Amino acid sequence: MKKLAVSLLAIAFCLMLAASSVSAKETITIKDDLGRNVTIGSPSERVVFTMENALKTYYAVGDAKNVAALKDDKWMRKLTEDIFSVVDPEFEKKITVNITGDQLNLESLAKVNPDLIVLWASSPEDPNLLAINDTLKVPTFAIYVTSLKDVYRQVDTMGMISGNKERAAAVKKIMESYVAKTTNVTDKLAESDKPKVFWMWTDVYGTAGVKSGMNDLIEEAGGVNVMTLAEKDAQEMEHPVVTQETLIKLNPDVIYMWYNEKLDPKDILNGDEFKGWKDINAVKNKRVYEIGNPSIFDAFSPRMPLALLHVAKDLHPDKFPGLDLNRTVDQYNVDIWGVHYPSMAKA
Amino acid sequence: MRKKLSGKSLLHLFFLGLPVFAFFFSMFIGSFPVHPRELLDLLASHLFGYSTSYPEVYNTVIFQVRLPRVLLGMMVGASLSISGATFQGIFRNPLVSPYILGLSSGAAFGAALSLAFLPGTSIQFAAFFFSLLAVGLTYFMATTRRSTPVVSLVLAGVIVSAVFDALLALIQIAVNERALQSIVYWIMGSLGTASWSKIYSAFPLFALGCTVMLLLRWRLNVLALGDEEARSVGLNPELYKIVFIIAASLAASSAVAVAGVIGLVGLIVPHMLRMLFGPDHRTLIPLSLTFGASFLVLVDDFARAGMGFEVPVGVITTLVGAPFFAYLLRSVRSGGWE
Repeated sequence: MKKLAVSLLAIAFCLMLAASSVSAKETITIKDDLGRNVTIGSPSERVVFTMENALKTYYAVGDAKNVAALKDDKWMRKLTEDIFSVVDPEFEKKITVNITGDQLNLESLAKVNPDLIVLWASSPEDPNLLAINDTLKVPTFAIYVTSLKDVYRQVDTMGMISGNKERAAAVKKIMESYVAKTTNVTDKLAESDKPKVFWMWTDVYGTAGVKSGMNDLIEEAGGVNVMTLAEKDAQEMEHPVVTQETLIKLNPDVIYMWYNEKLDPKDILNGDEFKGWKDINAVKNKRVYEIGNPSIFDAFSPRMPLALLHVAKDLHPDKFPGLDLNRTVDQYNVDIWGVHYPSMAKA
Repeated sequence: MRKKLSGKSLLHLFFLGLPVFAFFFSMFIGSFPVHPRELLDLLASHLFGYSTSYPEVYNTVIFQVRLPRVLLGMMVGASLSISGATFQGIFRNPLVSPYILGLSSGAAFGAALSLAFLPGTSIQFAAFFFSLLAVGLTYFMATTRRSTPVVSLVLAGVIVSAVFDALLALIQIAVNERALQSIVYWIMGSLGTASWSKIYSAFPLFALGCTVMLLLRWRLNVLALGDEEARSVGLNPELYKIVFIIAASLAASSAVAVAGVIGLVGLIVPHMLRMLFGPDHRTLIPLSLTFGASFLVLVDDFARAGMGFEVPVGVITTLVGAPFFAYLLRSVRSGGWE
């Protein structure tokens, strides 16, 4: 009897061990952009992306089938054309998660049954982070990209999330090689050859402070952020708003507009509303440019090297005489995502 | 024997003449360095038609940037103050501002609509159109059997404001972050994009509205007694209410369309003047025009040159005006409302 009891116990113990080894999934703990330790499955197989730039990065390094859902963003969708459908054949069938303002809809998230949610957050007290942790109890990975260096970090973290660290390393190398197409030229420029650049956000007088990501972009592209000449309290802001008089006083050589639906460079050069700008060097010399498509030239995604080339080419056209930006975009798309960009000339 | 001017009369004259001082003081303020002597020389050269040898950029800064901003600030300050004083007289309520009839909510909605979904439409036009639409809806809602009780106007204004605020919230939810930023900044109110074309477009309605309010101002004293009392002295209160509402709305809408929603000016300037000079509209209305003009332009001087970056002037009017108003409130019994 005693022998039978011991045998039964041993069998039960073995069965338990076997069961636990089948159900235990490998997990990893990684740090998100806010420094929080996040424990996730390796790889995560049902990931929700509420940020387009993180999604672009994931598609570059990870398996598209692990993307379970994304943010319902009609404005950005019309700018991205069908590039995502080319990268991910199942893209149109992916679930979309509703967002009201900045508030994620928890029920639409729950429907997806995610094992990881990637979202923008600038603080661990972000209401969305807290709400998801309290209600859905799903791991959340906070994205907070504010500089060009953060873009490389994002490639690493998406590599860890997707379980494809080698691919992430390869993507970073490709990005660095394309960045070098710009910096090999701009690093050799004398300070006197670098134009003063006023970065113009959509609110016209809002610009990039000296600690912002766009400041890095201007400098890498061979320019000088005109805000380095402004008063210190304005310089230090992420998005300072200057007066028209201050802009005239700073007198930038180039005005670079972020994508603006209401204004074009010709409006700055000729419009009634901008008569007061006529003595600014940039306007006198007709050096007002605009980022053509904020999704293709997204500086806070793996497309950062393309944004850099776009700006550098406009700042120093004589230094990039043979550069065909459309073909470069297409080639870059092939190198990073493995597909041609639908509307660009094929490289 | 010559009568000596009383202290109050001197103060009266000071407030009437204050815009001249405010104008010149403001013209000397700015981040672009122009010596006061050079500035006066440039102004005189344009007035008397002689040429100067200053760099062209001086002309641009003075005549295309600073002068339009100072004049627009004075116009907007005058519009909001005189409209506020008029509305306070019509509604016989010290808490009333020019935005009481839904004007600011309508304007904000119009501007947001233009910024978010109608790229080809002028923000100014959209703001103006919807501000007047809001006032029209309020009046229509409040009028029954040819009579428009003041309480009904106030309540209808609250409802119309709430509706436009809700529609504005919907737009803010639906737009991308950059458009949202532009909308929020517009709502805060700013004179940063002042230009001659804005002055030309707003001036006719500002002038029309202010002229009507100035010419008919003594009737506000009668309306302030109540509808029955007004009828007993032969005044048609309904007619004059409409006239004043239209005049004040035209002036205030033209201001909001070009400068956004600048808060507190239309509320506190008339009160400040009432505390010093009493509630007689024959004095109050012209002083609201001149002091309102001076107040806003002097506050805007700080908004544009006080720091290295532009601060929305509506923020400064509140931070500066509110404590000063609180001080006056504590030192004058009943706030001059009697």
